[in-house]
Amino acid sequence: MKFLAVCQSGLGSSFMVQMNIQSILKDENVKEDIQVDHSDVGSVGADSADYFFVESTLQSALGSIPESKVILLKSLINKQEVRDHVNRILDQEEIEHE
Amino acid sequence: MLLDLVNSNTVQVVAGSDMNWKQAIRLAAEPLINNKTIENEYVNEMLKVVESEGPYINIGPNIALAHSRPAGNVHKIGLSILKTDTSINLVSDKHPINLWFVLAATDNNSHLSVIQELMEILTDESAVKAMLRAADKTEILNIIAHKLELQK
Repeated sequence: MKFLAVCQSGLGSSFMVQMNIQSILKDENVKEDIQVDHSDVGSVGADSADYFFVESTLQSALGSIPESKVILLKSLINKQEVRDHVNRILDQEEIEHE
Repeated sequence: MLLDLVNSNTVQVVAGSDMNWKQAIRLAAEPLINNKTIENEYVNEMLKVVESEGPYINIGPNIALAHSRPAGNVHKIGLSILKTDTSINLVSDKHPINLWFVLAATDNNSHLSVIQELMEILTDESAVKAMLRAADKTEILNIIAHKLELQK
């Protein structure tokens, strides 16, 4: 399983989202090996990850990726928003968490 | 690490009532040009990317993190902060901003600790609220120092 945080430059906001996801996976005590990384929109394709996290105004830049794999975030610093999305995915994928 | 970058030279508080978002980002980035962290060209890039891709640097309520990919115009890792007392619309009135961060990175990963510490601060709602209320740069620096001190 791989989560990829994506932003325009691939080094600012996406990096923040990556860290947020990682700290949430730790909080949720997820044992399964989930890879989390960050990237710029230009270098991602549908195969780059299982789920893509992106700031909602960049949605169109990920047009080639199936909608079900794209998580749109309204705020990148609202940990609860990211947590809700991560937990929903974990449930959907039947991955154990707290 | 963050505290090595953020100091009385790189933090500014202004009224901002007569500014647009481009002027705000230019002013926010000025200290990084002055201390030779970035070239003016990097500032142009940051503005250009918002013009073409939209206000995605609005990372949370009233907060913008301006940044771009370095292309020889970033000499070292840098972070500067501008607080405008008046909120300024980033592209549209759906994106009012008071806290303008400018991030300069030299590659994809070396600024990890800066981003980590910045996240510690920005995910803390009370710290963000306090920064939005701050009357001067000393207050902002104190909030950041206090928050990072608690983490240790």
